[in-house]
Amino acid sequence: MTDRRERRGPRTVPLAELAPGAMAILREISDQESRAVLQSLGLTSGARLRVCRIGDPCIVQVRSTRIGLSKHVAQSVQVTVSGGESW
Amino acid sequence: MVAQPAAVLANDEELLLPAEARGPRVPGRVVLAGNPNTGKTTLFNILCGARAKTSNFPGTTTAVRTGRSQWPELAEPIDVLDLPGAYDLHLDTPEGEIARAALGGASGQPDDAVVVVVDACNLARNLVFASQVVAVEQRAVVALNMIDLAEQRGLTIDVVELSRRLGVAVVPMAARKGIGLDALRLALLTPTRTPAQLPPANATPEVAMAWAEGVASDVTSGDRGVDGVDRLTERLDHVLTHPVLGLLVFLGVMTGLFWVLFALATVPMDLIEATFAHLGQLTETWLPEGAVRDLLSQGIVGGVAGTIVFLPQICLLFFLITLLEDTGYLARAAFVLDRLLSRFGLPGHAFVPLLTSHACALPGIMSARLIPDRRDRLATILVAPFMSCSARLPVYVLLTTLLFADRPAAAGLAFAGCYLLGAGAALFTAWIFGRTILKGHARPMILELPSYKVPSLRNAFMAAKDQGLSFLTTAGTVIVAICIVMWWLSAYPKVAETPQVQELRARAAAPGLDEAAATTLTQEADALQSRAEQSGSFAGQMGHAVAPVFEPLGFDWQLTVGVLTSFLAREVFVSTMSVLAGGQADAEVDEGVVSRIRGMTKDDGSPVFTQAAAAAALVFFVLAMQCLPTLTVTRKETGGIRYAALQLGYMSGLAYVVGFVVYQGLRAAGVS
Repeated sequence: MTDRRERRGPRTVPLAELAPGAMAILREISDQESRAVLQSLGLTSGARLRVCRIGDPCIVQVRSTRIGLSKHVAQSVQVTVSGGESW
Repeated sequence: MVAQPAAVLANDEELLLPAEARGPRVPGRVVLAGNPNTGKTTLFNILCGARAKTSNFPGTTTAVRTGRSQWPELAEPIDVLDLPGAYDLHLDTPEGEIARAALGGASGQPDDAVVVVVDACNLARNLVFASQVVAVEQRAVVALNMIDLAEQRGLTIDVVELSRRLGVAVVPMAARKGIGLDALRLALLTPTRTPAQLPPANATPEVAMAWAEGVASDVTSGDRGVDGVDRLTERLDHVLTHPVLGLLVFLGVMTGLFWVLFALATVPMDLIEATFAHLGQLTETWLPEGAVRDLLSQGIVGGVAGTIVFLPQICLLFFLITLLEDTGYLARAAFVLDRLLSRFGLPGHAFVPLLTSHACALPGIMSARLIPDRRDRLATILVAPFMSCSARLPVYVLLTTLLFADRPAAAGLAFAGCYLLGAGAALFTAWIFGRTILKGHARPMILELPSYKVPSLRNAFMAAKDQGLSFLTTAGTVIVAICIVMWWLSAYPKVAETPQVQELRARAAAPGLDEAAATTLTQEADALQSRAEQSGSFAGQMGHAVAPVFEPLGFDWQLTVGVLTSFLAREVFVSTMSVLAGGQADAEVDEGVVSRIRGMTKDDGSPVFTQAAAAAALVFFVLAMQCLPTLTVTRKETGGIRYAALQLGYMSGLAYVVGFVVYQGLRAAGVS
């Protein structure tokens, strides 16, 4: 997985732009205000995510926690798409 | 399953200590801590039963629950404190602050024993908080709750290894089924502590999370990671969080909730009113006529009735909301509505207070406790009373009927318009406040959507009982006092019978008059006297004095008295106007009352309720804060008089201005 990331370089996309069902790895949260709350819910750097519902608001799953996020927050969560290795 | 060494079990006999010989083994207090949605409240309810109460944590407006638990091992009950659920001990949230203030001996109670409740299905995230608590708390026990659900999902957790990694006892539990309670008590009474490799206090979230994931994956087998959500939750969410379907389901659920609330609460409410009316009558027959009798039968009995009558709605609402919250649906409803409400600066959670306020603003404002963020909670509380509550109903009926006498369709439209105007004013106000006094704190939604579960009736009953008691003890006492004062203002000073009344009575008492005629004459005398008393009372005098203020809205002194007396409760407006119109103090809006009130004249003989004045009064009653009990509850829930004063000033001000515009506008347009 590390190889893939290096090959792709640092190109990250906002969580809000992923398709439903997509798997991703969290890289950075740019919104200062939401960061601490998101981290406390388990959305830390390197966490594996699954997008359950897109739109505003959207649903993302990290481990076995499902979290509803408004689009504003989802825009600030930068991820790299990790394809579907685990499927 | 229990992670206790066998040696500890052998010491069981020693634990049966007499009260005075409580050694250091017996904790002074048990504190429950944990993430939200871990079943912490369920555990608390099972430990404490009915002996629990909700109160604000010292120095905050966040509610915590305290109770006492009777253990077979102990002679005396032990105090239990249920902290609000927190995700992170070091996070700058009210829940985090309270947890920090209560844990680690910070509260000055070093002999506390702490139970960290963790969700076995969600171990990694829960372990972060658990490790933070274990790090600051000498006597901690981890309750591995919902172990039954974890097993259903194919997860197996090595409790002994988890206990070793955390350095404290770990007790697998299914609090809902009462499984694991004995082991939990034992673990609390025989504290064990072994060295463990916990993340350091200054660990970054990544480090803490990496540690937690390491421990979780070492002790858990059968975990399917990010794909491991239960299918039921996945399927239900597909419908319930859908932008369209979800909204439809929400409307259905809320309609059902209201139907139950209205259909079921009216039975005990009618019973309460009838009982107290009977009690008042009994007092009147027992006691000799005089001021003491009137104070008891009308002031005090009326005041207590006026408070207790709110109880059925409050209890029933919290019962239903707790059921919905327990199932996990409430979080979905908040999710679906967030998009709509966030445009106005309100959180998705605000739908419960706003919708409930259509029945009554009191339970509505109390239910704002569901809203996690203080700024969001304040905004919701401040605008909730704009919703047209059931007490406005008789006023709307009276005024719309006066406005559109022969056009029931128009009256119906005006009636619906009142509800829309109220809701619109609430959203508009939330929007304005969000850009002015409550600026800068609005948080976009970040909301955990817990797995769906079968709700617990016990939790629902406890919540209903707790909220009812908390309403009675804090707001209730003030409301009784206010009711008595308002009664006194409208009953005193007593007015002597006018010559006209005396003459009517004399004629009624004249010999040879048939009974029917005598009754008619007596009724006429009573009505005239009631009108004179209403007009001569302090409230009536105030009406005369304040009348010039309301003149620009087209209100004469009689309408002003109606506005003043209905400050206690809006429905009083109808009975006040009925009395001033020379009828009985009738709260029901029937044809007789309406035609009498329509016939009311000002001192100069012109009608009181012109089209323009009736329209202005209608708009005024939609918007004005005509409810003292609501202000009492706002004061209590916001932790100070400031927001209650703001609510009163803003709503009354808005009502006055809009009433003024309506009256003057209609006059300018040629409507008299």
